Amino acid sequence: MVHMAVTSESAEVSLDREQYITAYKWMLLARVLEDKLASLYRAAKIHGGVYRGKGQEALSVSIGLSLQKGDVFAPLIRDQAGRLAFGESVLEAVRTYLGSPLGPMRAREGNVHRGRPRDGYLPMISHLGAMVSVVNGVLFARKLQGVNGTVGAACLGEGATSTGACHEALNQASVEKLPLVLVIANNGYAYSTPSSRQFACRNLVDRAIGYGIEGHSVDGTDLAACLKTLGIAVKRARSGQGPQMVVARLLRLCGHGDHDDAGYIDPKLKASPMGRDCLELAEDFILQQQWVEACTVTRWRNEALDKVEEAVATTQRDPLPDPYAEEWRAIASKHLTELRGAAQWETE
Amino acid sequence: MPQIPIIMPQLGESIAEAVVTGFLVKPGEKVSADQDLLEVETNKATMNVSSPCAGRVDKLLVNLNESYTVGAVLGYLEVTKEEASRAGLDQALPDESAGANGGGAARAGRESETASKGVQPTLRGLPVPAHASGATYMSPRMKARMHELGLHAGDLAGVAGTGAGGRVTIEDFEKFITHLQKNKLTTASSMRVAVADAMRRSWTRPLATVALAVCIDPMLAHRKSCETKLGPALYAIRALAVALAENSAPAGRLVGSHIVHPQAIDIGFAVEVEDGVLVPVLRNVDSKRLSELANRYNELVELGRQRRLPADATGGSIATVTNFGTFGLTWATPIPLPEQTLVLGLGAGRVVPNWNAAKQAFEPATEANLTLSFDHRVLDGGAAGRLLLRVADLLGKPAEL
Amino acid sequence: MSVTYLEAIREAQARALADDPRVFIYGQDVGAFGGAFKATKNLANEYPGRVIDAPISEDAMVGAAIGAALQGMRPIIEMQFADFSTPGFNQIVNHAATMYWRTGVPCPITIRLPSGGTSGSGPFHSQSMEALYAHYPGLVVVTPATVEDAYSMLIEAVALDDPVIFCEHKYLYYHLKADALPTEAMPVGKARIAREGRDLTIVAYSAMVHEALAVAEEFAGEGWEIEVVDLRSIKPLDTDTVMASVARTGRLLAVGESWPWGGVTAEVVARVATEGFNLLDAAPQRLNAKDTPVPYHPTLWAVHRPTSRSIAAAARSVLRS
Repeated sequence: MVHMAVTSESAEVSLDREQYITAYKWMLLARVLEDKLASLYRAAKIHGGVYRGKGQEALSVSIGLSLQKGDVFAPLIRDQAGRLAFGESVLEAVRTYLGSPLGPMRAREGNVHRGRPRDGYLPMISHLGAMVSVVNGVLFARKLQGVNGTVGAACLGEGATSTGACHEALNQASVEKLPLVLVIANNGYAYSTPSSRQFACRNLVDRAIGYGIEGHSVDGTDLAACLKTLGIAVKRARSGQGPQMVVARLLRLCGHGDHDDAGYIDPKLKASPMGRDCLELAEDFILQQQWVEACTVTRWRNEALDKVEEAVATTQRDPLPDPYAEEWRAIASKHLTELRGAAQWETE
Repeated sequence: MPQIPIIMPQLGESIAEAVVTGFLVKPGEKVSADQDLLEVETNKATMNVSSPCAGRVDKLLVNLNESYTVGAVLGYLEVTKEEASRAGLDQALPDESAGANGGGAARAGRESETASKGVQPTLRGLPVPAHASGATYMSPRMKARMHELGLHAGDLAGVAGTGAGGRVTIEDFEKFITHLQKNKLTTASSMRVAVADAMRRSWTRPLATVALAVCIDPMLAHRKSCETKLGPALYAIRALAVALAENSAPAGRLVGSHIVHPQAIDIGFAVEVEDGVLVPVLRNVDSKRLSELANRYNELVELGRQRRLPADATGGSIATVTNFGTFGLTWATPIPLPEQTLVLGLGAGRVVPNWNAAKQAFEPATEANLTLSFDHRVLDGGAAGRLLLRVADLLGKPAEL
Repeated sequence: MSVTYLEAIREAQARALADDPRVFIYGQDVGAFGGAFKATKNLANEYPGRVIDAPISEDAMVGAAIGAALQGMRPIIEMQFADFSTPGFNQIVNHAATMYWRTGVPCPITIRLPSGGTSGSGPFHSQSMEALYAHYPGLVVVTPATVEDAYSMLIEAVALDDPVIFCEHKYLYYHLKADALPTEAMPVGKARIAREGRDLTIVAYSAMVHEALAVAEEFAGEGWEIEVVDLRSIKPLDTDTVMASVARTGRLLAVGESWPWGGVTAEVVARVATEGFNLLDAAPQRLNAKDTPVPYHPTLWAVHRPTSRSIAAAARSVLRS
């Protein structure tokens, strides 16, 4: 059976105001948090890289909000908004970025490589495409366990869809008819590589046909459209319609990481509708609808700033990881740990 | 007011340094948190370095168009205590200029001085035997066992090896040790062990002996005529000292390709003690007459026998004299001390018939053998012979000693 | 009654499926077909829905196993050949092996690798990959050499909370038989003295244990007593047992079917040389496959890997040095 791609290009009039505003506030918090992370990075407070989701917040928050407790979520590097909506705290994010041993990854992993697997929030590994089959595995296990009605979502960029891992996982999900929602942010660039060097099909969403699954296209700059489309995709997955592929069109509004000034981005794209900032658009929409006044939006922004500052101040008081107090053991089976290597010459 | 450093951030995974391309503030200027202070350029992008908190620019330590490492301190901000506290910077933060990414020095623009100096090998690598073969090869296990038992290669002289090239394997060794247990074993005294060690070490050199029969009648007559008791060995000591003072080369030591020349003419002499030998030392023997040495000599002999030699009378001698004649021996090849090249031996005197060519008749004369054992790496038979002849010559005129 | 090495593996999986509802098996052709080597014969019938055919997607297979483990299951992944695990290498070493260390949440998956050479298999159906996986922290790697160990170590592998790479030897599948399945077992992590000796220690694992035992038997006729140590686990490696054996014999020959560079034999020799230097009466030696891909033709294959002949020659050399 061939599924037709389902598209929802524009918002409809009957919007859920509460949902929209909730979404906007998560987006705002994500943006403010990432701005702060960027400035911490420029002030040499962050080791390694900072990866931002500027321009992608609408898409990301939409999947985060569409998922329910009990679902499983594997976000990627530009999903701060989705992570917050799914339940991550600002403190967890800041602690991971600043390498605090009190963060969820205990300083063993940093920046976007974080999660809480027991809560269905999967920590990514760097190899793109690898997380999708893991989401499949969770869903497959639930099938075996007779746990029904949950959904798994994985986020990718268009670059990650080139990996064998992504292909294998999509194929696997299709064969097993798993309730997987794959959210692809086609933001035009994988680091410096434009999408013309990434795939040759006319529309990335056409691949859904090849896998025998349902596909959805959406304007990633339009929050209302994103909320609607992701809502539909998640609902269809949850009701047993099999894997759903969502491809959003938007533009990355920052460098690949904060070490990158993105000088290669085509200015024409920046000037096009695709280059609009979804946060600004959403804010304009809220004010246009007169749902709140401008000063309320300002107040929301300040509240977000306060939340972020507080998290940063707390984290900066956390102890440093202590390499000599670390238990350098990589396996859970303590009795099988080998104590060889350089350990015998370590001095404090 | 607290000073907060402005640090060069890590601007990309493999970025190690960046060039300062612009100053966006001046010293003395007030700045807010996150305000851009400097423009820097990496090989990937142009970025800004921003302020960690609000304050006043105290000083900027960098120059335009120069490169600075990640982690380097680029300047300082003067900051109020409240602001430092608000920004969480009032904790004793780890030395940020040696941050994990850069390991940069406190001084901008210089390589890190914290890089440890690696261990420099002082010897070229020794070849590892690819095959454990050869009669003298001792495996690590052998060496460990021997060390455990306090044994040396010399102790294994009697062990026939069954390993490759005739080497002693650990099985041969253990069999040998077990076999030994079947014999009566007594503990060697510490004196015995010490002498054994000294002789073993001495023996690692090629030793040779030359000898000369000497007429000792003049010495015996001189002895009789003296009031103080003068041992025969003392005559030999004094004669050797005078000879070495004239030419000390025979008493030099060979270390590598250098001859180490003796300094003072200190001569040791062997004293038999229970289960071993001690060697007291007379100092500067070349500058003292026989009579001046006598008391000290007798004193040391006595102290030696009692094993109560003072520290200043042991060690440091450049040659040793041994009077094996006291045991009734006419001939011996003593072994020099391991740190010395020479040992002069004096045998027992015997009355022998000497051919007097002028009188065409045999005459009785008291003869004793003088033997000189020496490290053949330092001197040859000729030099050894010349030394002995000089000693014999001196012994013929005891009154001048 | 006799049971083959392969049957032991099947019985172990049956036992795991029976005892623990969290266990399932996932791999190519494992379902109705019973697996390329019949290691899962009939299990799909006995345990419907729990022995599942996978598409040819080793990366997705291991990824799914990881996800299932996070969800509380105990998956067994059958790679059709060890050689085909490389497309899944990333998920094994970068995901499964790092999960516990990064997150504190264990990843209890078992990956079965049909390993080792059989005549005519060629470069991609013959590899022994234990050293590759042992190198990465976070994995347990086992190499059963006996029917009993194939059974008990697979059961323990499934029970362990860590990812286990189970290297079963294809040649032993039908060539090795035992009278019965064991009721007791040595645990993972302990090596076994397969034959006691006095003059030389041969450390081996998997199929090479049997080659070494053949050599020991032959040399006994000449008066040499060779001790054979079956490592059983590559990681963790039971250094204490190996060291105690070398303490008894003073001589070491490590034998492995994989390639020389950085293989298990290198690890064994390194440990004995560093920690047991003064136990050695002769230089330790190692014998491995030739440093080329595994050849196809039986005549070439026969000399590519260590055999009882080459092991005998090496042993003689060590005994005589």
